[in-house]
Amino acid sequence: MQLTTASQIISFAKELEDKAAKLYQELAARYPEAKEVFLSFAKENKKNEIVVQRTYNEVVTDAIETGFSFEGLEADPYMIDVDLAQNVPLSSAIKKAEEIEERIQNFYTTAAEMSKGLLADIPRTFERIAKKRTERKGKLTSL
Amino acid sequence: MAILEEPIKEVMVLKNYVGGEWVQSKGELQDIVNPATARVIAKVPYSTREEVDEAVQAAKQAYPEWARTTPLGRVRHLFRFKELLEDNFEEISRIQTMEHGKTIDESRGETRRGIENVEVATGIPTLMMGYNLEDIASGIDEYLIRQPLGVFSCIAPFNFPFMIPLWFTPYALATGNCMIVKPSSRCPITQARVIELVDEAGFPPGIWNVVHGSGSMISSALMEHPDIEGITFVGSTAVAKEIYRECGQFGKRVIAQGGAKNFMVIMPDADLGNTIPALMTSFYGNTGQRCLSGANAVVVGEEDAFYQQFKEAFVGAASRIKMGYGLDESVQMGPMQSKKAKERVLGYIEKGIKEGAKIILDGRKAKIAGNYPETCFLAATVFEDVTLDMTIAKDEIFGPVGNIMRAKDLDEAIEMIHTSPYGNEASIFTSSGKSAREFQHRVNCGNIGINVGIAAPMAFFPFSGMKDSFFGILHGQGQEAIRFFTESKVVIQRWW
Repeated sequence: MQLTTASQIISFAKELEDKAAKLYQELAARYPEAKEVFLSFAKENKKNEIVVQRTYNEVVTDAIETGFSFEGLEADPYMIDVDLAQNVPLSSAIKKAEEIEERIQNFYTTAAEMSKGLLADIPRTFERIAKKRTERKGKLTSL
Repeated sequence: MAILEEPIKEVMVLKNYVGGEWVQSKGELQDIVNPATARVIAKVPYSTREEVDEAVQAAKQAYPEWARTTPLGRVRHLFRFKELLEDNFEEISRIQTMEHGKTIDESRGETRRGIENVEVATGIPTLMMGYNLEDIASGIDEYLIRQPLGVFSCIAPFNFPFMIPLWFTPYALATGNCMIVKPSSRCPITQARVIELVDEAGFPPGIWNVVHGSGSMISSALMEHPDIEGITFVGSTAVAKEIYRECGQFGKRVIAQGGAKNFMVIMPDADLGNTIPALMTSFYGNTGQRCLSGANAVVVGEEDAFYQQFKEAFVGAASRIKMGYGLDESVQMGPMQSKKAKERVLGYIEKGIKEGAKIILDGRKAKIAGNYPETCFLAATVFEDVTLDMTIAKDEIFGPVGNIMRAKDLDEAIEMIHTSPYGNEASIFTSSGKSAREFQHRVNCGNIGINVGIAAPMAFFPFSGMKDSFFGILHGQGQEAIRFFTESKVVIQRWW
């Protein structure tokens, strides 16, 4: 699937955040030893969803290139699968979470790079969220 | 791609909103059709002259008390209204797509632009301030105060059914006037939803009224009405000129914005990577139905290599535009607003071919994403070898048609712009500050874009326009709108 418009990009970003939040809620329920960290991630995912939507709603105008800023951005490399097999050890779950975080970070970074010259505020928000993902990956590794 | 949920589920029958009441018009009902699906989504009444008069009387009656309401008291209504617009942002945007055809990104962009005008107008306690000077003569002070005038009217076009009434109405109300909005008879549903929010925001009855109907009948009833102080209009140049003339005759204030034929100048040092998306938005955004749309792309320079590179990139991007129902988020261009509008554009395409322009991308062979009738769909079209004497280079086509032209240097490009009777917008794409500055200084257009394809002024700047694109003195939006909706009164005082 190709993403082309700002509207698609925002919906896709929200979908990623939503899926990731669900995964972390699931992880929190399964692994009480890391519950606090996982729940904080889920909360942050929800916040990101709001921030992404708000940024778009507050800057979208007919004068910026919302329809033509992401031509050729393939969604497939950034799709995430959050299904978790039963009885997987915490280490495998963390590995999966790290992979997912990597994909989400790559999505934000690529989308920001593509639209930098045209949409300004949206790529700035994306870059900020992508940067935070690095911290998150560090926390996952340390678990 | 899935279609976003349609907010209009069944055929709506629109009513006027007069004196804080919903009033069923006695006039005939006309169908409003979703241009993408060709389904009837509403019926709009064609109100009678008597109904226009009733609205004026309601506004006139409400005016004295509203004018004496404190500026802060007046803007509190606007703050509530703004919050309601935010709460209903998505629904309002989707209604625009349903009645106009524009993409959801474009509709949301329009919603944001409209809300920004409400936000700016909430600054009226500061913006409406006058000025003073102590001791203009010994012991004598002088000051200026701004006062409202009475009842105004806004006659709105179809292409921005939400935003354009908000270029004027929030300022009119915030300064203490009353307003009668005549929404476009082609796209009236958005304003019908807006007025529901006005009602919910609790504006006093008669302050903000809506009368639906025929543009020509209602315009003439309002212009001739002795209790109307002024008219704001956005539409074609022919009608804008007529409104300007009649308002002059009847002694009314007027803002009359007309048509356009906008030139986009591409210098050889332009960054094509960013220029092309900007031009796609300019030429094909809103399906070319806006007075800031690019129409003539003038490629500067005698070097063929740059011209070819530009042409390939422009045509390539235009040919990839995904056309379909605007509620599909992946769609980049919606249909024309009506079948009649499409036929008008088709006529221009045929004329272009007949007059010798070369069609290098033919939008008549439209590919529609999804299963929708072709009725209003017309894809991006590009002509080259277009000369200034051709009809397609001169007339406002108001559709997804772009002309590629050439100029040997910036001087010639500016001369080309000045052959047009219009002066709404012109843009330059360049990496040279010198060229940009020269362009900004010399070009006689009200809105200048520098590496910007849609030079749409923000709410705190006037929506400018020159020559046959604007008739009047003060423009809509920002400080100029505040001047338009107020009278300046000068007081000189001395105390013994």
